[in-house]
Amino acid sequence: MEYRADKISLFKGVDRVAVLLYIALVVVGLIAIFSASWVEGSENFFSFSHNYVKQAVWIVISLVAGVVMLLLDASLWHKIAYYLYGAAILLLLVTYLFGTEVNGAKAWFKFGPIQLQTMEFAKIAIALACARLMSEYNFSIHSAKDLMKVALLLFVPLGITVLQNDTGSGLVLCSFLFMLYREGLNKWLCIPIIFIAGLFILSFIFSPTALLVTLILVFTVSEGLSDGRWRACVVYLAALFMASILLYLVVNIFTESSFSYFNSLLIATILSLIVVCVYAYRARLRTLFVMVALFVASVAILPTSNAVFSKLRPHQQKRIEVFLGIEEDLNLTYNVRQSKIAIGSGGWFGKGYLEGSQIRYGLVPERHTDFIFCSVGEEFGFIGTTFVLLLIAAFILRLMRMGDNQRETFGRVYCYAVASILLFHTLINVGMTIGIVPVMGIPLPLISYGGSSLLSFTVMIFIAFSLDAQTRSELPTNRSL
Amino acid sequence: MNGGVTTSPRAFVVRIIVALIFTVLLGRLIYIQLIDDSYGNLSDQIQYRDVVVHPPRGEIYDRNGELLAQNRLCYDVSIIRRDMSKEGFDTLRVAALLKMSPEVLVKRIKSSPYRVERRISTYPISVEEKLLLDELNVAGLYTSQRTVRQYPRKIGGNLLGSISEVPEEKIRQDESYSAGDYIGREGLELAYESVLRGEKGLIMQDKYAPLDSRNTVLKEPVSGRSIVCTIDAELQQFAEELMENKVGAVVAIEPSTGEILAMVSAPTFNPDEMIIGRERGNNYMREQNNPRRPLWNRAVRSRYPPGSTFKLVTGLIGMQEGVLRPHYQYPCHKGYHLGGEHIGCHEHRSPIDLRYAIATSCNAYFCYVFRNVLENKKFERAKDGFDVWREYVDSFGFGRKLESDFLGEGSGYVPTRQFYDKMYHKSWNALTLLSLSIGQGELGCTPLQMANLAAIVANRGYYYIPHIVREIEGQDSLDRRFYERHYTKVDPKHFDVVVDGMWRGVNVDGTCQGAYLRGWDVCGKTGTAQNPRGEDHSTFISFAPRKNPRIAIAVYVEHGGWGASMAVPIASLIEEKYLTDTICRPHLVEYVKKTKIAYPMYDRKKR
Repeated sequence: MEYRADKISLFKGVDRVAVLLYIALVVVGLIAIFSASWVEGSENFFSFSHNYVKQAVWIVISLVAGVVMLLLDASLWHKIAYYLYGAAILLLLVTYLFGTEVNGAKAWFKFGPIQLQTMEFAKIAIALACARLMSEYNFSIHSAKDLMKVALLLFVPLGITVLQNDTGSGLVLCSFLFMLYREGLNKWLCIPIIFIAGLFILSFIFSPTALLVTLILVFTVSEGLSDGRWRACVVYLAALFMASILLYLVVNIFTESSFSYFNSLLIATILSLIVVCVYAYRARLRTLFVMVALFVASVAILPTSNAVFSKLRPHQQKRIEVFLGIEEDLNLTYNVRQSKIAIGSGGWFGKGYLEGSQIRYGLVPERHTDFIFCSVGEEFGFIGTTFVLLLIAAFILRLMRMGDNQRETFGRVYCYAVASILLFHTLINVGMTIGIVPVMGIPLPLISYGGSSLLSFTVMIFIAFSLDAQTRSELPTNRSL
Repeated sequence: MNGGVTTSPRAFVVRIIVALIFTVLLGRLIYIQLIDDSYGNLSDQIQYRDVVVHPPRGEIYDRNGELLAQNRLCYDVSIIRRDMSKEGFDTLRVAALLKMSPEVLVKRIKSSPYRVERRISTYPISVEEKLLLDELNVAGLYTSQRTVRQYPRKIGGNLLGSISEVPEEKIRQDESYSAGDYIGREGLELAYESVLRGEKGLIMQDKYAPLDSRNTVLKEPVSGRSIVCTIDAELQQFAEELMENKVGAVVAIEPSTGEILAMVSAPTFNPDEMIIGRERGNNYMREQNNPRRPLWNRAVRSRYPPGSTFKLVTGLIGMQEGVLRPHYQYPCHKGYHLGGEHIGCHEHRSPIDLRYAIATSCNAYFCYVFRNVLENKKFERAKDGFDVWREYVDSFGFGRKLESDFLGEGSGYVPTRQFYDKMYHKSWNALTLLSLSIGQGELGCTPLQMANLAAIVANRGYYYIPHIVREIEGQDSLDRRFYERHYTKVDPKHFDVVVDGMWRGVNVDGTCQGAYLRGWDVCGKTGTAQNPRGEDHSTFISFAPRKNPRIAIAVYVEHGGWGASMAVPIASLIEEKYLTDTICRPHLVEYVKKTKIAYPMYDRKKR
């Protein structure tokens, strides 16, 4: 390992505000975990069977790891990014093959008494590899080939998490879109991705017929908007629906089979597209071609949602169905309801530390891990939740600032990747406790109970700190904090 | 920004997005924490309290629908210190009702938190006491309903188990439990905890109108589900009475289903004494310190030498291995003598065939059979023969758990080749192990396994896993394994000879003629197990009737002497009771009940 020779002080150039924010978050976590796991009247306050004691030990281990990250030469990360990525992929595969199954997901690795979720650590390597790739000399965010490379970098680990039955934690990689946007990803690429994601979710709720009709209308209207050929559009729509109804009636009357309207509409649409293509070719309308291609892509997405859905674990399927209101699961709605009651009953100032009845009675499930935010919400009220959220927001913004201050693309991409991951985790975790996001087993960074989560986040964050410290100490004028 | 640092408009947009996301989260928090009061605001805490509603535990019925364990209503008393009046209250009377000293009461109140409800009663109070407490009308003192167990027949202590407050470790393991909840300990209560416990509910209750229908139900409690067990309460009680003053176990099984009809571990204890309450601790410690160990469920846990009852297995294995035919005759002159080995036997005519050997329980005969099995020419060494023998024994359910639904089932013990290699430094042969043939030596069986052997013979070659629960409310069927026939490795065709021998033993000229019941064709096999601690154990396995058996039973009386002297009459009376529902031999019942067996080996320990 290389050490920085020119360094006089270990903490030279380290962003003290960011470190303070980090420590504040960890302490908030410990306070909340204590409240959620302390059983009244239990002997052995410092016994290792208590979650808060374990967490405290993990905090110490994490801090040591963080200091080690600061000691290492920041340029090291650039050098070993790809090797780390390779190791991470290998580790994920090994976990998939030989890992321990927890809650149906083969995503954990056991070292004696310690269980580690390998994806937590793989995230660091993925972020580093992304940064390395995007900082290559001839990398261009506008080149399709380069973008494909980034996509490959992200989809390989995502694929493995799907195999591991742990899609939830793999979805975190979606947050890299945010970082890519910052790096200048074409917004015309962002919009279709978001459009398709939206379509993906809608396809769970609405019938295929309704979606197909909506898609036809959306694309016809946007074609009308872009070209102004309203008359042609109206004629096309009228002809299409007439044809489909005719087809439906004719087939059903003559063959007496139960041919659904969806099928006839689909056939009519496909046939009509041939006509449209011929028309577009003759009239040399390039946008029409693009529209047709996008439309075909969107229609092709529809059946994939079911295929993906069936890949999810039963409890994940259920969570999504419950959230979308397709199915009522008393147990899940109960969890979210309990969590909302806990937070809602906190009011302005909360019920006081260790006096939250929801938490104390154990009515909130997973109260020290995924639902730790309830503990804050119930016992410290709106003041507490706002404080914690502002802390996290400040921390994320600080990380982004570090990214912007970086001279190298490598550091910038990495800092933004870390910020994106934190943002994603916070949104999903806090969102689910207050019922605006489906329940996914994703921890609240630095606050939720869990050693592997805390350690991996700490390492990830301190690498960013170290990159930042190097930039600062190299600056000609030492800026004030 | 410094020179050289690239900034882009995107950096600005990205910050807007972050701000938007956090605004959405904060907006939602403002809504649920400050605006929407359906989740119960802080201000509500003054008027409302969250009441955890404990569901009634599922009841336990016997196979005829009689209640074995039912619920009794009682109350927990708790306080919220904030709601108590400044003037104080009559601590003397409250303390008297709670059966604690006023000092303790005051101390508990002072040490409880200000806003959070805290239980102050150590044990639940009865309905009458609760009504008296209500009359005192103490502000800030609340009662909440609980249920504890009550046992109409006061039988089956070890069988039913008991309930107690959930221990701290369990709370840490399983989040659905919280301090003060009740949980099953031992027996059925533990084995079917998940069925019986139900789910706690939560009500936001108006403190000043506790019965108001507008009280918000945050979560409906779900009552525990009842279970119907396979036990016949009357038979169980009768068997327990017969086993009074003795140490041992009785297990009766219905062979055609594997349902356990009665399961007694003697001495037993009164389950009513283990009900949560003031007396429980003392009673528990008393039973715990009893040197005869009533809390140890002998019926499923103890390892007993099966004695001569095991000869059935030896004979069956011999026939299956082809080294024994029913008509083979072997001599016996007061035992089996070869080299230095000597296994004694009682006096009977010689030579004899298999049927008579079973009926009269000849030791020598089965020594021959055992040797022939192990020293079969097809095996290179007797040790290989032993491995094969062990596989057979395993298929009868010995030396392993039967996977019944009863928790804490012991596995008994059947020694392995490695065991003997270690014990005899690798130099052993069939002669060394000869005592295994007659169920002695290192063999250990639970009474459940022995009853299962009786069921296997009764069924002519297969068994259903013995189980204790027949039906679970809201569940169509039990686990699949209870409906599968488990065949032994011995062909069913060989069983008829053994049944013949067992029938002869009871009805013609055998060791267990005391089990004879007119018209019921009882079949049985006695056992007299030698043991180093004292008098022989008396044991008997039996089933009846011979065709379409309805009951298979194993009785084990520690240090009861000959199989015929103690175990046979007990088993016979239980069979009579079950099959005919009457007792024609009241004098025998009297005799059995009155017989006290001395247990110096247990009672000596006391001092």
